[in-house]
Amino acid sequence: MLDFKLIAPLSPYVISTLIIIAFLSVVFIVVGIKVSKLDPSKTPKGLVLLCVTIVDFFTKFLGEYISGKRLKFFGPYLFTIITFLALANTVALFGLTPPLANVGIAMSFSVLTFFMIKVAEVKFQGIWTKIKGLAGPVKILSPIMIPINLIGEISTPFSMGLRLFVNLMSGTVIAGMVFALGAGISAGFNFILGLGFNLFASVFLHIMFDIFFGLIQAFVFFMLSTVNLSMASEA
Amino acid sequence: MFATIFDSITRFATEYNQFFSSGMAYLGAGIAVIAGFGPGIGQGFAAGKAAEAVGRQPEAQGKILVTTLVTQAVAETTGLYALLVAILLIGK
Repeated sequence: MLDFKLIAPLSPYVISTLIIIAFLSVVFIVVGIKVSKLDPSKTPKGLVLLCVTIVDFFTKFLGEYISGKRLKFFGPYLFTIITFLALANTVALFGLTPPLANVGIAMSFSVLTFFMIKVAEVKFQGIWTKIKGLAGPVKILSPIMIPINLIGEISTPFSMGLRLFVNLMSGTVIAGMVFALGAGISAGFNFILGLGFNLFASVFLHIMFDIFFGLIQAFVFFMLSTVNLSMASEA
Repeated sequence: MFATIFDSITRFATEYNQFFSSGMAYLGAGIAVIAGFGPGIGQGFAAGKAAEAVGRQPEAQGKILVTTLVTQAVAETTGLYALLVAILLIGK
């Protein structure tokens, strides 16, 4: 492809992640500057109105699951997660590789959520209550219960990360297989037929795997993080 | 009967070691994807119950939709593990 030495050692997943991060930071900084200059007596317009509506919607939505002080603590994190994931999963529409199709990036998201769950437990429950919860209600059985509960603690981020990764990767793999079939048709049989097949198939593949599954998975990860955080922060 | 089948498989394996292992990997990938039965049944059950719940209480549709999506994603996990194993076996 293009021989560009500066970013050549980076894998395509990291490149698309960096592009998404740059785009989102520019948008957030611009919106932040606009919101700080906002006149409270007038109704906002354009981009600011859109952002205010989205943030308001998510605050109301999260309010059904997390309330009060905890919403202020977890709300920004959860909103950042869903914004990034929704953009990262649909980024294949713009010709970039979806970054979540790499197990490292998907797992780092689940590690972030795991870290937030632990912070929530320490902050809102206290360490001693957590250790008591790990040991179980019966004191004598605690040598058996502690390993089982520890495995349960670790399996949460593991399954969340793998779910995110495999969904996105299977979309990439299946789309790649269908496109390879079209390329094979155009190379061996008829060029126009293969091109038409690929053009026709790409519409359905991208609608199915990028828009539908990608947004569903972003929402599911957000929802699971919300439920886990609200369970962890309730006493 | 099984003894003869096993014997022929081992003889085949010693003769065509490399092709035998890659062929068995493809066979294993096919067998692993059979696990798709479970999530299919589970997700269909959850979806049916959600449709029943919406029919019984149409005003709670939003909450039912969110709950259904999350539970179906959780039920999907085992099938995704099978898919991961299958893809790893194909890429072997």
